[in-house]
Amino acid sequence: MTDATTNLKLPPSGAPLPHSVCVLPFSPTAPEALSEAQKKVYLAPQLTLMWWKFKRHRLALASGIFLLVLYASILICEFLAPYDYQSRHVDFIRSPPQRVHLFHEGTFVGPFVYGRKYELDMNALRRTYTEDRTRVEPIRFFCRGDPYMFWGLIKGDRHLFCPAEGGTLFLLGTDRLGRDMLSRMIYGARISLTIGLIGITVSFTLGIIIGGLAGYYGGTFDLVVQRVIEIIQSLPHIPLWLALSAIMPPSWSPIAVYFTITLILGLMDWTGLARAVRSKLLSLRENDYVVAAQLMGASTPRIVFRHLVPGFMSHLIASATITIPTMILGETALSFLGLGLRPPITSWGVMLNEAQNINVVVLYPWLVFPVVPVIVVILAFNFLGDGLRDAADPY
Amino acid sequence: MRSLRLLLVFAAAFFAGPAHAGADLSLEAPILKEEVASRRLPPVEKRLPSEPRVINVAELGGQPGKNGGTLRFLMGDARDIRMASLYGYTRLVVFDTKGTLVPDILLSADVQEGRIFTFKLRPGHRWSDGQPFTAEDFRYWWEDVANNERLNPDGPPAQMLVAGEKPTFEVVDETTVRFTWNAPNPSFLPSLAAAQPAQIMMPAHYMKQFHKKYADPNRLASLVAQEHVKDWGALHDRKSRWYRPENPELPTLSPWRPRTTPPAELFVFERNPYFHRVDENGRQLPYIDTMTMSIGSSSLVPAKVGSGAADLAARYIRFEDYTFLKAGEQRNDYSVRLWERGEGSYASLVPNLNVSDPVWRALFRDVRVRRALSVGFDRHTVNQVIFFGLAHEGANTVLPDSPLYDPKLDQAWAKYDPDLANKLLDEAGLNRRDDDGIRLLPDGRRAEITIETAGDSTEESDILELVGYDWQKIGIKLFVRATQRDVLRRRVIGGNVMMSVWPGMDNATPAPDMDPSALAPMDSMQFQWPLWGQYQSTMGREGEKPDMPAVVELITLKNDWSHSTTTEERRRIWSRMLEINAEEVFSIGVVNRVKQPVVVSNRLRNVPIEGVYGFEPGAYFGIYMPDTFWFDDVAKAN
Repeated sequence: MTDATTNLKLPPSGAPLPHSVCVLPFSPTAPEALSEAQKKVYLAPQLTLMWWKFKRHRLALASGIFLLVLYASILICEFLAPYDYQSRHVDFIRSPPQRVHLFHEGTFVGPFVYGRKYELDMNALRRTYTEDRTRVEPIRFFCRGDPYMFWGLIKGDRHLFCPAEGGTLFLLGTDRLGRDMLSRMIYGARISLTIGLIGITVSFTLGIIIGGLAGYYGGTFDLVVQRVIEIIQSLPHIPLWLALSAIMPPSWSPIAVYFTITLILGLMDWTGLARAVRSKLLSLRENDYVVAAQLMGASTPRIVFRHLVPGFMSHLIASATITIPTMILGETALSFLGLGLRPPITSWGVMLNEAQNINVVVLYPWLVFPVVPVIVVILAFNFLGDGLRDAADPY
Repeated sequence: MRSLRLLLVFAAAFFAGPAHAGADLSLEAPILKEEVASRRLPPVEKRLPSEPRVINVAELGGQPGKNGGTLRFLMGDARDIRMASLYGYTRLVVFDTKGTLVPDILLSADVQEGRIFTFKLRPGHRWSDGQPFTAEDFRYWWEDVANNERLNPDGPPAQMLVAGEKPTFEVVDETTVRFTWNAPNPSFLPSLAAAQPAQIMMPAHYMKQFHKKYADPNRLASLVAQEHVKDWGALHDRKSRWYRPENPELPTLSPWRPRTTPPAELFVFERNPYFHRVDENGRQLPYIDTMTMSIGSSSLVPAKVGSGAADLAARYIRFEDYTFLKAGEQRNDYSVRLWERGEGSYASLVPNLNVSDPVWRALFRDVRVRRALSVGFDRHTVNQVIFFGLAHEGANTVLPDSPLYDPKLDQAWAKYDPDLANKLLDEAGLNRRDDDGIRLLPDGRRAEITIETAGDSTEESDILELVGYDWQKIGIKLFVRATQRDVLRRRVIGGNVMMSVWPGMDNATPAPDMDPSALAPMDSMQFQWPLWGQYQSTMGREGEKPDMPAVVELITLKNDWSHSTTTEERRRIWSRMLEINAEEVFSIGVVNRVKQPVVVSNRLRNVPIEGVYGFEPGAYFGIYMPDTFWFDDVAKAN
């Protein structure tokens, strides 16, 4: 401690202070020096922090993984489904689900199903199926089954699992034309899950652009946008869907109808988001860094999208995960009412539409099974959204 | 003079009263006993016409019953209360179960030279309000309604005209009227017996209060204001509507009279104490006192019926509901019977020959295309998958119950033959295909047919799905579009619908004497040729002039039928018209003779085990006379 400061002597009172500069190196973190482990935590980037926070929300994490798996599966649904979703089995109409067994008469066989005997009960006019305990039909894996066009491009006939040669494998039963319910649900997921993503893209693009500009500019533009949003929000949805689906030309292919429906869902849904974006922007635009950017001559889009939007990105992500289920439900509701998708396209909504009568509930309850994935997926999205919202503000 | 006679009738009734005060009430319906005893209602022999129509219930295969009970129906729409007019099936003349015309309200209908119709009424027949039913009711309709400028600006309805000429109407006496045309009018009697018949009389004593000619102008004006209608004509129309019985005050001749003014959830119909039919024991019909129609959602009808909420039900119940209903038989004390449906085809695919798309119009008018589409799908699969093999695979034509049935026509172009279909389509100029194997139209578009349905039947969409699989193999792509009944009608007439699904011939068990209008363009409701039908029904004012030779021949044949005098001649015309329809495949039948589940309470007697369920000629249950059905409460107690 023999440096300059120790030698410093105060001048007599009344005399000016001498100019002095500390020549020692200065470290602002010196008072609280961080260990390597501490550095990792305290200097972690925003995203890492969010991830840590998110990880602690177990349910959200599980939901997220579940959804990732589900979305990955729709890429390869041709491979996953044991049957083609259109292949009919005239001898197995409305066949109840087959149970998977492992042991046959005490010996281990591996996963197999028992064969089915089919009888026509002409008195009750009902097809009855009984298990034929003598016919053991082991499930085959990575096998050849119904041919398909993978993504409509590559010919293939490999399936993850298929019935034994000459046997059947209806794990969730069959519908009224003898089509495998499980395969139809796997293919249906492709439509039902993506309709949410496409819809959300449309509604987010519109919501962020319109809401962003309204919030940033304010004034007359904001006023007009707000009134338009009010009008759109006050339109009753179902009659509007009815009208829109009625004007869709019947000659359109089901794929075109599908895209139009996602578009309709997206066009109806952006208003809430636009409001949220606008109010966020109203508060953020008063910040000093915005003034600074303006003074430096940044253009409006740059200010909005480069400086302002990242400020509430976390909010956007959370609200997206909560909006996707609404879209899925929207499609299901539309198709349930018979306004949405039409055969031969299949979705969970289409399948539920086909299941809505007393006969199904009483006699063929397995046809209502597509309700389960709808519920599970929507719950998963809600948990995920919940977790993301918590994680979005990690401090 | 008339009023004097009326007075005399009343006087007679009054003075005859005391003699019956302590009389035998055993034949009286229990519900009416008190009213009769207290002389608020004349006794049954005074209420019946002097010559009532005697229904020999035992001879019909039933057993004579007793009065009482409530017959509950479930309906899907308030407009369905017209079922009361159908189930009652009371007409001037009616068809019996063998298809012959018998007088019902009339005592006799005498026809000379096919053009002079003399109708004799039953003396002493009364409307449900107790007023006499006489020739005056016919005269009022003909002179003051049919020929009234305000009520019928276009003159009398088409059934009353032969080659545009009106009949001469005369009142011969109090109970006899006569219509005379210059040429034969073979459709006159069948149209009176139809499920929705031509109306040629009205309760004059009641309707006169709404008629400008008879009513007190001040009172009429206040009535018009009170009912919020435009003028007296609209009021008269509204008050005289009987087919859909919305006016409980309108006197009726049916077995049950309406007691509820719409809008309502539950419509009640009470026995008509003046009904003109009796059973062999002299007991006045209907046996059942009250009929109720409960209005709810049509999709819930099967569920409600399955829980025992109806005593008799067939409407809104489909073949596929049978299994479910059968399961509830024990629990809810009903039984499910399988009747046969009476239409020519349960669902038929109807190509629109007047579609606005010129390419498809030309194709549909090519008989090879229609035939190819018909042989291009497998009816057997449809039958097996949807109807358990219980239906009959065939074209849209008459059923074996009809004397005009011909198995050759039934199977014409109805056998699955994809090779033939391919050959016919190739010949018709659809020989180019794209990569998916779908044929290309002459203008390069894909051969995609959109079939529109009324959208209320899953069976229809299943049939179409199966048809679609087979058509795909012959290079035709099928899309299904579900709309609503009324929307579909409008779109068909507008030429926007390429092909629709609709039940086949309404009356598939016709006799030669019945009108063959369904086989030729006659009105715009025929989905295969809406514009040609419109042209015919409007005498060429609207629509398009038919230009296909086969269709022109059908119209000529229909006109020949209208001028025919003998049954033999009519049989020949019918056969030829059926043959043309079968060969030209104007509508593509899928299956017919489909079973119709009929749910009958175990307490209800006299409902046939087997029957034909159809609108024409039977008015659904009407032809089996629900007025002879009765409740056996003893059976329930046991």
